[in-house]
Amino acid sequence: MKEGVACYRKTGDGRGMKQNGALSKLKSLIGISDARIDPAAAEEAFRSHYRSFRSLLTANNAALELMAGIEEVLRQGRPFGMSFVRGHSTALSVNVFKMVHSLQELSGGRYASLNDAFSRITAEIDEIIAREPPFPKGDFVLFLDRIGRDDTDLVGDKMSNLGEVSNRVGLNVPPGFVITAAATHRFMRASGLKDEINRLIKTLDIEDLEELYTTSAQIQKLISSAPVPPEIAGAIKEGYRELVKQTGPGVLVSMRSSAVGEDSQSVSFAGQYRTQLNVSEEFILDTYKEIVASKYQSQAIVYRHQRGFRHQDVIMSVGCLAMVDAVCSGVMFSRSPRQWQSPWMEINAAPGLGGPVVAGSARTDFYRVSRDDPNQVLLSETGDREPVLDLEQLRKLARAALRLEDHFGAPQDIEWSIDREGELVILQSRPLAPTAGGSAEPAPAACGETALLSGGLPVQGGAACGDVFVVRTNVDLLEFPKGAVLVVEQPLPEWATLMNRAAAVVSETGHAATHLAIVAREFGVPAVFGMAGAARTLGNGDRVTLDADRGCLYPGRNERVLKRLSQPVNLMANSPVYRLLEEVAERIIPLNLTDPGSPFFAPAHCRTLHDITRFCHEKAVTEMFLFGEKTGFDPKSAKQLSGDMPLRWWVIDLEDGLRPGFDPREKFVFIEDIVSEPMLAIWEGMTAKRWAGPPAVSLKGLGSILFRSTMDPRIDPAVRASMGAKNYFLISKNFCNLSMRLGYHFTLAEAYTGPMLTENYVSFQFRGGAADRSRRFIRVNLLKDILERYGFRVEVILDALTARIERKPKGYLLERLKVLGYLLIHTRQLDMVMGEQDMAWHYRRMIEKDLASIIKESARDN
Amino acid sequence: MKMKKKKTVLLVDDEHDFLDITAKRLTRRGYHVLTADNCLRATEELDREPVDVVVLDVMMPECDGVDFLKEIKESHPRIGVVLLTGHASIEAGLRSLESGASDYLLKPVSLEDLIEKIEILYRDLAEGE
Repeated sequence: MKEGVACYRKTGDGRGMKQNGALSKLKSLIGISDARIDPAAAEEAFRSHYRSFRSLLTANNAALELMAGIEEVLRQGRPFGMSFVRGHSTALSVNVFKMVHSLQELSGGRYASLNDAFSRITAEIDEIIAREPPFPKGDFVLFLDRIGRDDTDLVGDKMSNLGEVSNRVGLNVPPGFVITAAATHRFMRASGLKDEINRLIKTLDIEDLEELYTTSAQIQKLISSAPVPPEIAGAIKEGYRELVKQTGPGVLVSMRSSAVGEDSQSVSFAGQYRTQLNVSEEFILDTYKEIVASKYQSQAIVYRHQRGFRHQDVIMSVGCLAMVDAVCSGVMFSRSPRQWQSPWMEINAAPGLGGPVVAGSARTDFYRVSRDDPNQVLLSETGDREPVLDLEQLRKLARAALRLEDHFGAPQDIEWSIDREGELVILQSRPLAPTAGGSAEPAPAACGETALLSGGLPVQGGAACGDVFVVRTNVDLLEFPKGAVLVVEQPLPEWATLMNRAAAVVSETGHAATHLAIVAREFGVPAVFGMAGAARTLGNGDRVTLDADRGCLYPGRNERVLKRLSQPVNLMANSPVYRLLEEVAERIIPLNLTDPGSPFFAPAHCRTLHDITRFCHEKAVTEMFLFGEKTGFDPKSAKQLSGDMPLRWWVIDLEDGLRPGFDPREKFVFIEDIVSEPMLAIWEGMTAKRWAGPPAVSLKGLGSILFRSTMDPRIDPAVRASMGAKNYFLISKNFCNLSMRLGYHFTLAEAYTGPMLTENYVSFQFRGGAADRSRRFIRVNLLKDILERYGFRVEVILDALTARIERKPKGYLLERLKVLGYLLIHTRQLDMVMGEQDMAWHYRRMIEKDLASIIKESARDN
Repeated sequence: MKMKKKKTVLLVDDEHDFLDITAKRLTRRGYHVLTADNCLRATEELDREPVDVVVLDVMMPECDGVDFLKEIKESHPRIGVVLLTGHASIEAGLRSLESGASDYLLKPVSLEDLIEKIEILYRDLAEGE
């Protein structure tokens, strides 16, 4: 450390800095403008300022990048979990905190009230993230004959619908009771497992299938081994005793999950949880625990993640229904799931119980029955065996389906059985999950000679290309590569775990009513079932293209088929996690502080983290800008740029932007004295092509300018704010902030181009213009197109444009600065000609050509 | 006259895999790396030789990272400390910065990002002297 220099030491990148020599000296310097300056102390104070400034810029960079990340997932709806929400909110808060802190250092604590705004906003965000769904309250056991829609919070949609089927629609359902969500909540709380499960889930990397399976098994084991509290065990026993009174001793029950919290119409949760048939009294408690634990089956964890549900958003209730002595069972859709306007319904049926039908492991009959009275059989596919259902049974089913659709007000997906007495019993009725992307009814298969396989049943339309991966066991499943085509023998529900990884699904057996088919439709994954021989003939690694509209599979990549590539589905929209992020984002992203000249540009008016970053950045630049002037410290005052140029420029050196040996007392500076790399790049862009002068303006264009000038006093060049009066470069070797006011335009360009990617960025703001609004819009959109082509992230609001790039190497950014330099000079006054289409095209082509040559030439230089 | 010397980084984390891999990679990039799998060992390392930057896991058994951070900033105010966490929390992040941490990073952090944080921190510390 040099002698005589004020002692200054910074801890970390600024935090923990107490009042120190340099800072107090600086404060006194600022107060006394005509005092004699101690150059060494001022120099040192300035350097510490510059360090705080640089930290502020780096934090600003990180914060804006994080905000862009949040906007992107909200826009695209690509699946994200709470770890994304928590991670981004935390990283943002940390970086904005750093900015606030750095600004306090820079300004000598002038903006203390920023802390209040910051604390207020982060507390709000914290509160949103920590918010828990309300605890379910009520009886531990409820009987089905007393259940209706109002009980959904306790018994879930599945069981409350079944209650309605019986009590309101008047169709048969099996007698039974529901172990409610209040019971499960009590059970989980008594088990003390919440923290442990949260820890396991929070650290789980859902992309790692092996970890997913291990964690899933671990959690399920924890839940299954926990004791059921006596008050709940007692209530369940009592419920069973009541059921025996209704049905007779020794009755076996089917136990079905009915999750509470799955309230969205477009979310099916099909086959995610366990169902157990033929449970005798002694196994009811164990089975109950297993079903509660099945909330953490791997496919359910993946499904919730993909659809934006937190684990605490879903709580299990379990229906215990007397077993139906079924002659046959099946699934029916009151409309075709692939064609919502279809005048027919679809019925799948198999002998015996219904489980194998929805699991996709049974061979089923398929019928199409008209919706009109009398319900005609339009199609009957029963293979080489006797039909499972006769006409009377089909009509009975059809009439029941219409009554259910009528009651619930939407097409229904219905599970049913017919018992020994010939009675129809409804086991479940839920809204039919719509097909993602709404594909039409399959065209008749005409696959052509090039097809490897044909004749499959389209389950979800679209087209996809990928490498075959055959999955027969859970071990195969662990190896499944992302983007592969899933090929299976049977469409079992557990394969749904792969629905976020598979490009398409091909199954040898199965039909549209299986749970896997429902999930494939929901996720918009092209799927063809019933494609005989697929698992046997296709080999792992074979590149194939699936035409899921026609049920054809082609070798290799088939561009003709892929032209119909389906759009990705926004699975997250309106989910609990998505809504939560939207709510958090309201405290982060909107920018309310836009005009530094406004009295509302103040800490008290910061309503979002973006406002705070904007405020900090603006004030930090001003502090740096005014330092020399305030302190009367000449070396850091503005120097005029000398040379032959059309505009006048001033340069303020922040640290090392001028060549070594330059006399800092000079009032003038030449471009040869500048060593700031970003400034030189902008300058190169500015001067690479001669400006052709203002474009020839038509009378109409000129009229619009004159009109605007007379209407808006702020754009009169004679009215100027002190800082906006001149064109400034604020520079160091790696940094440049350019503020420029050319006629009616206001422009800000800023860049840091050092060796470290986390510090690097280019940002650009542009607004104003003399022409009327529509011409300015056209010009700003022309700029947007050009900047996006060079990798900028661009936002346009009215006639104001902001553009930004972060985290790129120096060389890349310097090229972009040349682009900006060029545009600064050559697009001014272009707004005037933007009314004429031909002129707009002419200038666009000129700009594109010039830029191509500038970037190419300098690339050769490098 | 500045002497070119290796920058010394102390990694503190109870996850041995993370410790070993990160230490190996940082060493390959020219850092002098010390490791400790608990706070007691970390204290011994800090007493044994001068350290520039500490990379500290927030959650370790029997040791709260933020408390230990405060201890370090008290006994060695010139050491820069970067906290690492697998459980992001706004409250913990801000408490860490207020207690003198230079940064609060979320796991998994890429090696490149970690190195940049260390380099920026080291540069700022050096310039402040």
